[in-house]
Amino acid sequence: MAPRAVQAESSRAAQRKAVPRPAPTAAPAVNGSKKRAAPAPVEEEEEDEGLMNGDQTLEMSDDEVAEGEEEDGNEDDEDFPELDSGSSDGDDEEEDDDEEEDGSESGYNSSDIERMYEDGDEDEEEESPATTPSSSREDLTIDEKLSRMIAKNSVKPDEAIGTDGKISAAKTGKGRVVPSKYVEGSYRREYEEYEAGYGSESSTEDNPNTVGNIPMEWYDDLPHIGYDVNGRKIFRPVKGDELDKFLANVEDPSAWTSVEDKLLQKQVQLTDRELDIIRRLERAENPDKDFNPYQDTIEWFTGKGNERVMPLSAAPEPKRRFVPSKWEHKKVMKIVKAIREGRIIPNKPTAQKPAVYAIWSESDQPHQEHAMYMPAPQLPPPRTAESYNPPEEYVFTEEERKEWEEAEKEDRKTDFMPAKYDALRHVPGYRNLVQERFERCLDLYLAPRTRRVKLNIDPESLIPKLPSPRELRPFPLASVVQYRHPGSTRVRCVSVSPSGEWVASGSEDGVVRLWDLGNGREVWKWDLRGGAVQSVDWSPNAEEAVLVALVEGKVVVLSPLWLVPPAVAAATMEHTNAGFASSAATTKAGAGKEVKGVEAVKWARPGESDRERGVLVTIEVPGTPKQVAWHRKGDYFSTVAVDAANKSVLIHQLSKHATQSPFRKTPGQVQRIQFHPHKPWFFAATQRYVRLYDLAGQTLVRTLQTGARWISSMDVHPGGDNVVVGSYDKKLGWFDMDLGNKPYKTLRYHTKALRSVAFHPTLPLFASASDDGTIHIFHATVYSDLMQNPLIVPLKILRGHRVTEGLGVLEVRWHPQKPWLISSGADGEVRLWCS
Amino acid sequence: MAKIKRKGESGAAKNYVTRSAAIRKLQISLADFRRLCILKGIYPRDPLHKKKANKGSTAPTSFYYTKDIQYLLHEPLLDKFREHKAFAKKLARAVGRQEWGLAKNLEDAKPVLRLDHLVKERYPTFTLALQDLQDPLNLVHLFSRLPTNPIPGKTTVPTDAIADCARLISEWKLWAIRTHSLQKVFLGIKGVYYECVVPSNGQDVRVRWLEGYEFQQHVPTDVDFRILLTFVELYRVLLGFTLFKLYNEENLVYPPPLDKALEEKGESVGAYKLVQQSAGIKAGEGSGVSKKAVKRAIHGMATAGVSGEAEEDVDMDEDAAVGEPATEEPTEDFIERPSKDATDDVAPGSLTTYNTIISSSSATASSSNLLFSQYTFYLSREISARTWEFVLRSLGARVISATQMPDPSGSDADANAITHVVIDRPMTEERKRAMENGRKWVWIQPQWVADCVNRGKVLAHDDYAPGKLLPPHLSPWEGDGEMQRPWLDQTTLADGPAAGERPEVEEEEEEEDEEADVDVEEEDSDDDEESTSTPTFPPALLASAQNPTDKTLLHAAELEAESAGTSSSAFQAQLQSAIKSLGTAPARKAAGSGPSGKGKAGEEDLRKIMMTNKKAKLYNKMKYGNAERQAEKDTLETKRLAIEKRKRKEARAAGKA
Repeated sequence: MAPRAVQAESSRAAQRKAVPRPAPTAAPAVNGSKKRAAPAPVEEEEEDEGLMNGDQTLEMSDDEVAEGEEEDGNEDDEDFPELDSGSSDGDDEEEDDDEEEDGSESGYNSSDIERMYEDGDEDEEEESPATTPSSSREDLTIDEKLSRMIAKNSVKPDEAIGTDGKISAAKTGKGRVVPSKYVEGSYRREYEEYEAGYGSESSTEDNPNTVGNIPMEWYDDLPHIGYDVNGRKIFRPVKGDELDKFLANVEDPSAWTSVEDKLLQKQVQLTDRELDIIRRLERAENPDKDFNPYQDTIEWFTGKGNERVMPLSAAPEPKRRFVPSKWEHKKVMKIVKAIREGRIIPNKPTAQKPAVYAIWSESDQPHQEHAMYMPAPQLPPPRTAESYNPPEEYVFTEEERKEWEEAEKEDRKTDFMPAKYDALRHVPGYRNLVQERFERCLDLYLAPRTRRVKLNIDPESLIPKLPSPRELRPFPLASVVQYRHPGSTRVRCVSVSPSGEWVASGSEDGVVRLWDLGNGREVWKWDLRGGAVQSVDWSPNAEEAVLVALVEGKVVVLSPLWLVPPAVAAATMEHTNAGFASSAATTKAGAGKEVKGVEAVKWARPGESDRERGVLVTIEVPGTPKQVAWHRKGDYFSTVAVDAANKSVLIHQLSKHATQSPFRKTPGQVQRIQFHPHKPWFFAATQRYVRLYDLAGQTLVRTLQTGARWISSMDVHPGGDNVVVGSYDKKLGWFDMDLGNKPYKTLRYHTKALRSVAFHPTLPLFASASDDGTIHIFHATVYSDLMQNPLIVPLKILRGHRVTEGLGVLEVRWHPQKPWLISSGADGEVRLWCS
Repeated sequence: MAKIKRKGESGAAKNYVTRSAAIRKLQISLADFRRLCILKGIYPRDPLHKKKANKGSTAPTSFYYTKDIQYLLHEPLLDKFREHKAFAKKLARAVGRQEWGLAKNLEDAKPVLRLDHLVKERYPTFTLALQDLQDPLNLVHLFSRLPTNPIPGKTTVPTDAIADCARLISEWKLWAIRTHSLQKVFLGIKGVYYECVVPSNGQDVRVRWLEGYEFQQHVPTDVDFRILLTFVELYRVLLGFTLFKLYNEENLVYPPPLDKALEEKGESVGAYKLVQQSAGIKAGEGSGVSKKAVKRAIHGMATAGVSGEAEEDVDMDEDAAVGEPATEEPTEDFIERPSKDATDDVAPGSLTTYNTIISSSSATASSSNLLFSQYTFYLSREISARTWEFVLRSLGARVISATQMPDPSGSDADANAITHVVIDRPMTEERKRAMENGRKWVWIQPQWVADCVNRGKVLAHDDYAPGKLLPPHLSPWEGDGEMQRPWLDQTTLADGPAAGERPEVEEEEEEEDEEADVDVEEEDSDDDEESTSTPTFPPALLASAQNPTDKTLLHAAELEAESAGTSSSAFQAQLQSAIKSLGTAPARKAAGSGPSGKGKAGEEDLRKIMMTNKKAKLYNKMKYGNAERQAEKDTLETKRLAIEKRKRKEARAAGKA
């Protein structure tokens, strides 16, 4: 009956699967139209069963009844109470049968096999009713049955799946039946204590805390750590501090075998068994002590008695399974033949190239050197310093030794410390030899290589070849005359009369002084009472003696009438007073044509006393004019006032007493202005650019980009094609306007801001003055040939002005004919430099 | 319209790859890549624009030239690496399964790495190989003396590699001795530097190498011997081919057969024998020409031309097999050693066997006009035979070392032949006399030999007597940048003034020198003082004095002084006075006086204004470098003067006391 037993077990398992079959589908199949539900084999079986077991079919299996409970109303032929009216002795048997049959449908799905066993099955059970545990169930009440039914049907299907091998004791009907404690008059089955193996789930362990697998820190702030099965709080056990813990650890010999139970927050002693598991895990063994990795094979399909009778394939065994390969044999024979004939010698050493041979011949040619080929540099030869017995001066002094030892390894000039030994036998082994060889090897394969051009030239050859200053004489060499101002007031501006006789200087005390050029005697002074004198400039017309001085808000036209020849004085008077005569209203500006925006400019005739002192005209202008520039003919002059917005640049006409504002809107703050020497052009230097305007055509001719941050000074070469621009950022830019808008040369030689630059009107010289107190004299030949660039030769540095409060030389001007230079400084001096 | 240029598709971005990209491309491990780079001589580059080369990133990376990596892609070594990897896996598997037969078969068919093609590729001509021989020789010398396990617990050095290195350097030295090509010896604190002249295709290549002193090497733990071993692997092959070529040119068999017995006695160079290639070029030498000899002769011609054919390889194998037992060839014991029967008939000082070899090969210089060919040296037991035997022999001397003759005081023929004794410990006169045993020997310290070699002449040996304080040992490679020391020349020349008069001369020089010093001081104190000394100076000195900054003029003046026999200190004094009389201050002083001082200095400053920015920077850099060098020289010179002064003072004090 062995197969039967297997059958029974599997069928029971299958039955449990079948139990939760959805009621609506199963019930009509059973109770209603059984025949109509033909396709399902289950129904057929039941039908058969019904046919066979006559009256018993009415009782049906428990599950089917339970399923069909709700549909009782539809069932007319049977009703529920009848169930217990039937023979109760066969009940259990029937149940078993049903179960079996249900199981068979999913187990084998073959009704034939099922039928084969059915009869015997029943017989057996009927024959030995005492053997089954059902004998103890004789006394089950209806309630009990009901509860069993409910229990059975309320099992979740998934729980049963996969447990085919093991059948719970409940199903086999083991255990005692005892009266139920909870339900009055009912019984329950009690089973023997089952020892949970380590394969069992952890849920079987009794855990007083029911909070589950949560982070226990959620309870950190609470007095309790969870709830027991009855919903009562489990309070946090008393925990000692670290010292207690330590003492406990020290005193308790078993402390090291305990672990903390997070859930209950207390130390739990590990059992021997658990310790054993840990030990096994440490040794990377199977944690289960009883696990036998070398279990005997259970022969299911092989071995004695298990032989398969029926073959899996009916195909006859192919020949190749038992006949040696012909082709293999042929191949082997071929080799054997070759060996016999000596064509193949087994284990013959292969013909090797010799280790060395003539790899180079006379005809070798080196590779064409690739541009990217960079051979490693050779190690330099050892110097005398490396000698074991160098001359004494090579040996380090105490300081050198210290310096060498303190320096980083990479910074040292030599990788060794020179040493002197009396005899060769005293020389010790060199400690770093292996290290140095190793580093060399690292350099060879790891150090990035790059090609560096090593210039083997004399550094002096880099200095440009220029003519000697001696050949370029005359130029100013030394300070000859000094014009001292009282009180060491700063002399902002200086100018030389076109005749070259007089020097006018304007100082910060508001006085314009007139000096005799030759002997430095102060011959006249005008106190303008308008703050610092910003700028003075003589008219270039040598037949007149007109001097323009600028103070805050005012342009003053001066003339030393009694110092000049009478003809000159007369011409001057006529020129300056012509405007008063032509325009009756001497006070109004814009005599020629009304220019918008110059209403604020007022030409005024000073009082009688002033006129006697030589103050001829005053012009009131907006802002503080900073610079005045004369047109070459001596009738027009222009002033620039940085703070006068769009009226910063003004062009005044002395003969007509008229003022024009050439720009409706000035681009940036105009710093410096200059008339072109022979064209109707006008230079205006803003902070960064120099703009050249055509006054006649009213157009912008070009913009020079100086590259300077803030232009301080500008001068135009008498030829008109070259401009020098000095800036506060210590640079001097030379523009050749034939070459473009960028500087032809930018020179940086002053250590402080440039204040003034000036071209000599006739000689090829120019000078620059700076806050560092020096004046640099340059030779500057401008060739008429367009192909030749200007020649600039530095000639001389003139030192003499003292630097006071960060200011040095403020302005330089050339003598109109001679190579003499006049400079004014912040130290209250004006100097004449002569060759 | 021109083609649109996209970023990262040309230029540096294409020309360079990072190391990790290269490794990915080659599909090898970093270790293999490193080996490949070492063997192939591929090195990282420093691109001009790192950002462009690294896709805009400025992270520090090493870049390789893309073409280099592309060439690596079809490098046969790469295949060999892969083969070896597969082999290692198979072998490990077989060993793990204890399949010993299979393991043995695998081991027999192990893929062999050959580096011949790399040698030819990296050094297409022999000259190029020689020019790059410094590093190989240095490393092979180092390895020849290493223990097998330099750092315990780290990579061990295979014994055969060490033995091979030792063999190679012995062969190299043997060749140098044979051709007398040693030119310079320098005893440094790191070891002994040698320089040889190696002829190649009509041009001489100077090869310099360093051999450490005979001590146990200190090996720091951070030295990676895998890297060094890879280098040594290549260098061994390179040296092997180089030596083959050199020996062949000398018409000698390579490798030279090794005398086992001698090697066991502790000989290194001496254990090898030089064997003439049997009449390779002079084929019709005699009637007794054997078949093998003819074959070898043909082979000798063939090797000069084509190489790498299978037939030839077989020939080579046969050669190697036959070369050793060949006894009918004119095998001669090249190393002269005091065996009783050999030296009985040999007159002391003349090396017959040696000379016969030399006369047979017409290419080499005759030994008779070598520096030490007239002498026989006895090396005392504390003298490193490895160094000095090599040096002395390559200069034609006969050497008897203490191992061969522990007691030279005996009166056999060898002992009688001794002319010089190289000794490095103090000796008493009695002991010397006892050893000399009535003969006249020259007792010298080893530095004498090195100085003689470097100067190319036999120097006076008085200063080098044992126990004496030696004159300074100078580097023979002292370049133009270093100081000239003519004062040393004069004191050490053998044909210089006799020992008796030299001190007087020096005394005079001292006086003058001191005067000069005083002069300089005076000059410093007051420039304006006009000197009234009569200018009777030689012309070159005058020229130099007029332009004290000009080096060439100074050199010319020195030469003139030397030819006139003026001592250097006297010359210096003369120069000083000449400068003073002419009123030209040295440039240094002028530079120190500031730009406002002299007109000439001011002019220099002004012209610099007109320099472009780029040139000005370069100029400043060069000036700075020159100033550094000058400062170095000056400190050395001042230190020297101070030391000399101190010594004079001490000597005077000693004289008074």
